[in-house]
Amino acid sequence: MKLFRRIVLRPLKADPIRTLISILSVALGVAVVIAIDLAGDAAVGSFQSSLATLTGKVDLTITANGGVDEAYLGRLAGLPLRAKFSAVIEQPVRVVGGGRGSAMVFGLDMIAAAPAQGNGEGEFTPAEMERSVVVSSDAAVKFDWKTGQQISLRGRNRTESFTVRSIVPGQTSGWLGLDLAAAQQLLDSFGRVDRVDVRFEAGEDAAAGRRAVEAALPPGYTVRTPGDQQEEKQKMLAAFRWNLRILSYIALLVGAFFIYNTIAVGVVRRRTEIGILRAIGSSARSIEGVFLAEAAVLGVVGSLLGIALGRVLAGGIEGMLSDTVNALFVTSAPSPILLSKAGVIGAVVVGTVVALLSALIPAREAARVAPAEAMRQASREHEAKVHSKRDLVISGALAALAFAACFAGPVDGRPMFGYAAALLAVAAMAMACPAMIVGILRALRPALKKLSGAAGLVAERSLTTALSRTSVVVAALATAIAMMVSVATMVGSFRETVQVWLVSQLGADVYMRGEGPATAGIFPAMDPRIPDLVRGLPGVADVDVFHAFPFRYEGTQATLGAGVMDIVRRKHTLRFLSGNADQILKSLEGTQRAIVSEPFANKHHVKPGDVLTLALGERPVKLTVAGIYFDYSNDRGLVIVDRSTLLRYLPEQPLTNMAIYVQPGADAVKVRHAIEEAVADYPVLVAPNGVLRDAAIRIFDRTFSVTWALEGIAIIVAMLGAANALLALVLDRRREIGLIRYLGGSQGQVRTMILTEAGLLGLLASALGLVLGMALSMVLIFVINKQSFGWTIQFHPPLGLLAAALALVWAMTILAGVYPARFATTIEPSDAVRSE
Amino acid sequence: MPATKRSDYVSAISVRNVTRSYDGGVEALRGVSIEIQEGRVTALLGRSGCGKTTLLNLCGAMDFPSSGEVLIEGHSTTALDDARLTSLRRGTIGFVFQAFQLLPSLTALENVELPLLLAGTKGSEARAREILRWVGLEEKASALPFQLSGGQMQRVAVARALVHQPKLLIADEPTGNLDTQSGDQVLALLRRAADEFGAAVVIATHSAEAAAMADIRVRMRDGRIQGIESGGSEPGFAQ
Repeated sequence: MKLFRRIVLRPLKADPIRTLISILSVALGVAVVIAIDLAGDAAVGSFQSSLATLTGKVDLTITANGGVDEAYLGRLAGLPLRAKFSAVIEQPVRVVGGGRGSAMVFGLDMIAAAPAQGNGEGEFTPAEMERSVVVSSDAAVKFDWKTGQQISLRGRNRTESFTVRSIVPGQTSGWLGLDLAAAQQLLDSFGRVDRVDVRFEAGEDAAAGRRAVEAALPPGYTVRTPGDQQEEKQKMLAAFRWNLRILSYIALLVGAFFIYNTIAVGVVRRRTEIGILRAIGSSARSIEGVFLAEAAVLGVVGSLLGIALGRVLAGGIEGMLSDTVNALFVTSAPSPILLSKAGVIGAVVVGTVVALLSALIPAREAARVAPAEAMRQASREHEAKVHSKRDLVISGALAALAFAACFAGPVDGRPMFGYAAALLAVAAMAMACPAMIVGILRALRPALKKLSGAAGLVAERSLTTALSRTSVVVAALATAIAMMVSVATMVGSFRETVQVWLVSQLGADVYMRGEGPATAGIFPAMDPRIPDLVRGLPGVADVDVFHAFPFRYEGTQATLGAGVMDIVRRKHTLRFLSGNADQILKSLEGTQRAIVSEPFANKHHVKPGDVLTLALGERPVKLTVAGIYFDYSNDRGLVIVDRSTLLRYLPEQPLTNMAIYVQPGADAVKVRHAIEEAVADYPVLVAPNGVLRDAAIRIFDRTFSVTWALEGIAIIVAMLGAANALLALVLDRRREIGLIRYLGGSQGQVRTMILTEAGLLGLLASALGLVLGMALSMVLIFVINKQSFGWTIQFHPPLGLLAAALALVWAMTILAGVYPARFATTIEPSDAVRSE
Repeated sequence: MPATKRSDYVSAISVRNVTRSYDGGVEALRGVSIEIQEGRVTALLGRSGCGKTTLLNLCGAMDFPSSGEVLIEGHSTTALDDARLTSLRRGTIGFVFQAFQLLPSLTALENVELPLLLAGTKGSEARAREILRWVGLEEKASALPFQLSGGQMQRVAVARALVHQPKLLIADEPTGNLDTQSGDQVLALLRRAADEFGAAVVIATHSAEAAAMADIRVRMRDGRIQGIESGGSEPGFAQ
């Protein structure tokens, strides 16, 4: 322990700023990884979080595409099972009074659910029960409701009053619980329910019960346990979370580069000490152990700090992730952020292992030093040997491997080879660094000498002389910059693609949908009388009506939609990957044919001509795929049929959206106002196409806000590392800096010299980062994104943004040199030279 | 440029009753006074720790007296700000060190050129080449320090110290790391610097050869000057 304190801890204490920066590098890396995991878990939430409080534990849930026929409840109740079957309606309603917004209503058999509530306020008569509502604490806060208060809810075509009977505490989403009969009446939803929950009584064999339930239902019905549902939700979010997780590891990778640098600098600086230790009997292994122990200290302390930081960070990004999950993937109420013991241990292990792995090479180098060589004065100048040419060949081989990996398919739905390609590309860049640095600096040499004289000359030379160290710093900075460039290019390209798509997709003048939350998988219904009401208005040319509802296909959720294909065809709103749009859409009218969105096709490996078997109501229906169209609305995937085809199987399926085309020459604004007036009494939302497009882009931008936050942190880690590395360079060149002062160098010239070095590091890293970033953006767009989400993204690098970002990073790198430069000016010339 | 031997030597540095003590209470110099004259070689002699290097640092304005004063070109070094001191080092003083102190990343020519670049002097490369020729190393202009022998490195260091034609050349044990032959070559160059350029050359040394070559020999002990011997007819003075 004494030896550990003297040989490992003392050097760390002797260099507090560098130690602190190294710890911060690890801490930020670990913090990002932890934050993404914690916030991701919280955003996905628990499937049971809201209703379990109200209804108690559910063993099975029965659902059907298009809704469950209530008639089956009787059949289920007749089964020889000790079980309760509860029909549930789950739909949005408008809260009336000052236009206060919408909330989800759960229609339940309240009498059956009452014992589980734990909030009962005594016995109610059935009549009282029908006029009562139980609300979540979140809804109570949002709408400022108190127990006993009268509230008004607007259903599809009527408004009814209810009394708030109780408020369920600790809820993170806004919902209302109504008695099933009241909900059916309010929502005009008779004969069908959204699902049936099954609860087995104690002692009932759940597996046998499930088999009996399944046997009593038609083949199109699905029976799932809550575990199945949670698993399905996790599966839907897997790609999204995987990609975020991988991105979060980048900050850790950048941190790793700097741990490597810190240890490598320590080895170079302490060579004399190593020599003495070896001469007095230390083994090579124990020398290696000293440096690994140093890395472990940095890793453990950094990880612990990172866990605390990560917990704070998770709180900041949870909201952003939750928005994205709800907008694009699956409706989910966030659950509280929970830091588990396993999570803490995992983070410490990851942080420490990364630190140890990063230190392995320099620690081995230290162990190989011969005692006599180490003790020689001149060996202070020693730098690890760099084999630029050999490394360049290796770099070429790695780049070729990366290129090859781009052509491999996904593994278990994950773009594992895409990730491998990205990693190989980073490795290729790192190996090419020494040769590139020498080449670029050599080319810049005359200009540097001309522009900043001695400062330029010395700065350029010192970077070339300390090539191994310069290479590590440049590689780390370039990795962070490349990540920024690639993500900016990917997001910019994606944004441009979506914008172009929105213009063609949202070709109608006015859009309408049922009022309710705009989240994935929820399609509030509209009153069936509305289309005729709108059609009769002056200035309206065409009204396309659309029925959308979630359905299940191959174990995941997707959306089934039905519209008037004749209008879609005439208005050219869809673009297809291949084939003639006109012919494809014409072939859909009244037939058993469907078109699918690109994400659906990629996820389920569907191509034109394939036959999909979907359950519509009770019956399985076969649909031939006529074409695949571009769609960026969500990752779940869509299957679209002609309206007449859908209504043949599900005649009661409610209307969910409308697209209204204004006659040529008519005033679109006036027509919209007329429409708004005509439907004022219905719970619908009316929006012109511009508003919808803006809203879509807003959702898009919000989706990527987490990505930007991660990028920012990776850049901060890189900047800390750059400051650390520059400080190391200054400390190691005290003699040289002192000498320059002897030779007439002013403090200003010394400052300029260090800042020039910082600027050169930034320039080199920007150049390499830009090249690597462009390569990575292609991997992201054409491999990782395509395999994860199934979207085709057109390559549109946001040049202005990239130029501004690179300039900013460059400025920040120079800024990172300010402290080392100031430190350099305080070096006393006589002290520096005497210390030799 | 070579100066002729003169009899009216001008004082380049006046060290007046200087004491230098450090934080720990150690007195490295105690009441030292000496005049360093242009065109002459002054050797500071004595054991390690006698105060030679401290006196050199004071003469080079790299350190400052605790009491007393050091005048360079009539200006007290303690009264000069950093900019004036920098300009003094650029124009007036050249340094040669025992361990050569060449920048390992620069070639011989670039090392020599460095003071001129720092001063922003035009035509720096040609001047550096000229002085490199003067020390007999023109053919080594592109060599990096590790490609040179010890003697060659010290000759490059002498060239660097003289490239801006300083009035004062300060050399701290310039032959301490060299073999006899290389040491003699370096001493010859320092002698020529005084004779041809008229520089005031101050050498701190243990070497008998260096002492023999000097015009004035200052013997030091425990931070004091014990005695001053002159090789010619003009004695220095001491207290």
